[in-house]
Amino acid sequence: MSWRAEWLAVWAVVVRNFIMASRNVFFFFELLFWPIVGVVSIGFMTKFLELTPAQGSFVLIGTIALSVVNVCQLEVAYAVLMDVWSKSIKHQFLAPIGIRHLTIGSWVVGMVRGFLVFVLVAALGNWAFGFRVLQPGAWAVAIFLFGCFVNAWIVGVFVCALITLFGNRAEAFAWASVNLVLMLAGIYYPVSVLPDAAAAVARAIPLTYFLDAYRSHFGFATEFASPIATGLALSAFYAVAAHWTFFAAIQRARRTGLLLKMSE
Amino acid sequence: MSSLAADLAIDARDVEKSFRSGFFRARRTLALRGVSLAVPRGTIFGLLGPNGAGKTTLLSILATLLTPDRGSARVLGLDVVRDAGALRRRLNMASGRPSFLWSLRVAEIVAFYGRLYGLSGSVLKRRVDGLIHEYELEPYRRVPYNELSTGLKQRVALAKSLVNDPDLLFLDEPTLGLDPDVSVRVRAHVAALRRERGMTIVLTTHYMREAEELCDEVAFIKAGRILAHGSPDDLKRQIKLGSVIALRLDPPTVPWLADADGVLRVTPDADGWLECTVDDVEKRLPVLLRQLVGDGVVVRNVQVREPELEEVFVELAR
Repeated sequence: MSWRAEWLAVWAVVVRNFIMASRNVFFFFELLFWPIVGVVSIGFMTKFLELTPAQGSFVLIGTIALSVVNVCQLEVAYAVLMDVWSKSIKHQFLAPIGIRHLTIGSWVVGMVRGFLVFVLVAALGNWAFGFRVLQPGAWAVAIFLFGCFVNAWIVGVFVCALITLFGNRAEAFAWASVNLVLMLAGIYYPVSVLPDAAAAVARAIPLTYFLDAYRSHFGFATEFASPIATGLALSAFYAVAAHWTFFAAIQRARRTGLLLKMSE
Repeated sequence: MSSLAADLAIDARDVEKSFRSGFFRARRTLALRGVSLAVPRGTIFGLLGPNGAGKTTLLSILATLLTPDRGSARVLGLDVVRDAGALRRRLNMASGRPSFLWSLRVAEIVAFYGRLYGLSGSVLKRRVDGLIHEYELEPYRRVPYNELSTGLKQRVALAKSLVNDPDLLFLDEPTLGLDPDVSVRVRAHVAALRRERGMTIVLTTHYMREAEELCDEVAFIKAGRILAHGSPDDLKRQIKLGSVIALRLDPPTVPWLADADGVLRVTPDADGWLECTVDDVEKRLPVLLRQLVGDGVVVRNVQVREPELEEVFVELAR
């Protein structure tokens, strides 16, 4: 496949997801409602608990990560979910495209939406509660967001694989999985407070390292030696694993007939 | 590859497919039991059979949506498993009761799939506009898919299935649930595709008139096996249903007629006709007429009717 053909297939998915996103009221809720509710409730909680600005930022970073990763990974999951809901999935897999086109195309739209959420939440947090999440500078923000987006892609692709393996029954993973990952990765707390077994799992999650690295700019000592490098290495590993799992799930669905059943 | 194989759009051999279901996937259903099929290029080929016969399973294997358990299938000279990626560029499919993303508009649906097949810019626009025009969808190009009628959805599915100008088109019950006038137009479109573009078309249908009108060849599939294969006329001959000699007589009934040589059965109808099914109409008609006249029976009218494909279907499905 030429680069042009690769780009066109990705672009097809970008355009489709963008159109669908712009016409669905639920997408509006994902983009605005829940992130705003998250920031406002966290803001009031920090006031009530009389947290320092640094501690407030620590907690808000967790909320931002949750909102950004959630919106972005849902968009990646929509690569399969929207076609499952509309029973049109067979047409997608009848076309000469690979799963990389589906997941990357959806991811591009997910990153745009995730970035909008980040800007919105950061601005609201600063205006309403004085949280300065942009304080570490552009590079740190970029690396943090990149970590969130890569993790969202990984979770989203695993969700796509689960839906392709188990059909509509696995839909709940699209909404549940990111919360589980964030809980383990230390959404509102350092992973050192987790029980040993949970902390061991947290150390296997790349987002843990990106959260740790970003929070270190707010005066919290890093818990890991090279958090960004470790986060990137783990992300690369999981990205390959997620892609392979989704690919194997599609092959299995072609074998079992689930691809057709999901189109009936 | 031999020249014979090169002339085939589809060359499937001993294709088997089973599905597992139930607790621990313990229940196994054999959907295809060693199906072999040869479809010449440029023909319209019909797959007929009762519900659950394996038509859609076979179509889906040939369209690379399913993988076979055993056997081999080459489509347009490419293996459906090993060369699936290259093959998908050259084929497409439309199904009865089609489904697409609910809030995409008609033009957006066709354009989305066009992009998946590598079209862009002015080429994509021309193709989308052309298909929308061809399927008379202009008034609906900005209407969301979920607001379309069944017939319009079917036309969108057909337009989508032609977006890559395929060499081979699979139509799975393309007129299912459509009004008769819409069905007639869909059939006219299908016939035009073969006539004007030389496209090979494989369709499944429950409507025998559709198969008889459109198909150069048909295969009858039941319980995962192909029971008969040939042109509709060949199939009628193969099944030996006989021909019908309809007689209007005075007196209206003749007791010995049912026992005459070559007469398989005699059925009176409500309009006063006697329908005599005979094994060989050319041989039996002159003899029967001679015997009737010799017996003093007045033959007021005679009509000869060949069996319809529907009768072949009923016979094979029995």
